[in-house]
Amino acid sequence: MGLGSTHGLRRVAARRDWLSLAPVPLGIRVAGGTLLCALLSCLTAMTLSQAVYGQRVAPITQSFYRRLPPSGQLRNEVIFFVVVHAAWTAAYLAFAMQRRRHRAEVRQAQLGEALRSAELRLLVSQLNPHFLFNALNGLRSLIADDPDRARDAVTQLARTLRYTLASGEDLVSLERELEMVEDYLALESMRLAERLVVEREIEPAARTARVPAMLLQTLVENAIKHGIAELRPGGTLRIGARIEGGELVLRVDNPRPAGRTPAVAEGLGLRNATERLRLLFGTRAALHLDLSRPDRATARVRLPA
Amino acid sequence: MKALVVDDEPLARRELRRLLAAFPAVEVVGEAGDVDEARARIDALSPDVVFLDIQMPGGTGFDLLTQIDHVPRVVFTTAYDQYAVRAFDVNALDYLLKPIEPERLAAALRKVQAGAVVDADGRMEPLEQLFIRDGPRSWFVALREVSLFTAEGNYVRLAWGRERPLLGRSLAALERNLDPRRFFRASRGQILNLDFVEQVEPGSGGRLHVQLRGGQEVEMSRRQARLFRARTTLA
Repeated sequence: MGLGSTHGLRRVAARRDWLSLAPVPLGIRVAGGTLLCALLSCLTAMTLSQAVYGQRVAPITQSFYRRLPPSGQLRNEVIFFVVVHAAWTAAYLAFAMQRRRHRAEVRQAQLGEALRSAELRLLVSQLNPHFLFNALNGLRSLIADDPDRARDAVTQLARTLRYTLASGEDLVSLERELEMVEDYLALESMRLAERLVVEREIEPAARTARVPAMLLQTLVENAIKHGIAELRPGGTLRIGARIEGGELVLRVDNPRPAGRTPAVAEGLGLRNATERLRLLFGTRAALHLDLSRPDRATARVRLPA
Repeated sequence: MKALVVDDEPLARRELRRLLAAFPAVEVVGEAGDVDEARARIDALSPDVVFLDIQMPGGTGFDLLTQIDHVPRVVFTTAYDQYAVRAFDVNALDYLLKPIEPERLAAALRKVQAGAVVDADGRMEPLEQLFIRDGPRSWFVALREVSLFTAEGNYVRLAWGRERPLLGRSLAALERNLDPRRFFRASRGQILNLDFVEQVEPGSGGRLHVQLRGGQEVEMSRRQARLFRARTTLA
């Protein structure tokens, strides 16, 4: 009976998730439950004893209580049952709590691992290692020939990296994002030289609008990586921003190799960007890549201003 | 050693030139910024070694190599390109990561020089090789190791050791670049390597049945068989 009742208690405790409770509510429930089980066991024992031996306390146990009157014996019986149950419950409780704690630690470690690798992957994908190592290589070349330009490049690179690392913040001013894009374009100019020409049409009112960090950067990077860098003579990159009907409209336009369907449409950068827009603005934001002309690509983003 | 530097970034070319200046045995004879320029320079200058960037506008370093008939020794360069690096590793191709470390450049140059036959003028003997890409696999195929070339439509199937790579060129185009002392046209669709001939048996109607080292069997046409007999009796 003891085992049965405590088992039942354990089931109830599991179902109602007592272990996640603070000590006091847990203590109350456990104490109450234990008492109930103890009494049930005791009652069952007595009933059985009564049926078998004709008295409520079994003769064997009675021999322990020789000197006590019957009421005292009963009282001791009850106390005995309560004590045994309490000890049994306490032992089980200690075991259960330790197991729970251990499981939590393991899970925590696993999560930490997953988070680190996810962060790292995100960082790597945002950092664009190809760009980074090419920039470093170009920079090294400048050190001997044009030290002033090399120093500027180091500053731009540091700013670019810092911005990338800090882009956990969701929204920044367009002004801030444009600063990052300018640094990036300066570094790419080192590589592409006269193959890259940039035209900007930024409305003053748009500069204070809030945009997801790295959004414009991703579009510009794609425009260069899949468009201008792929063309031998290079081309003109056009960046536009204006406020229209309560919305911020961003435009990135670039030439691209004709007749080639770019992998960029499925690129990770664009997918991330679309996802972030959806998370931040739901249906109120949209990103569209216009590839209707075979030799041009235009990315348009609309989001609430 | 005559070197050609191929990279779409002027700064990268400059940087590699600077590094190579530390090696007196190496003379940078030219530069190229894209595939077309590179092809022209290789034709004009016949460099012993080409430092070849992978990602260039209008075509990759791999594209260049499959287009030329006389493929020089190559050291690939890349800033960071997972796919290229994997291709390099899988196919045991020599490559350098940019920014290039001087020690690694020295090791690559040593490898180029090792086993290279140098003539009286100090010039390296050309390797007579082709670069072939077949799906994910790539090889520098030394022509003298190919036992048989077989036409397959507009392409050519090579019998090379255990491999059977497909070359993106016609048999006729290929023939123009094969040494006639070593390679002999057996029929309209096949060219064999004379060094690999093991057994020759007479066939029907004046034809010859040739067995090559490696197991290939070739039917020589009547006309070619006559030429073959003439040559071998003379030799």
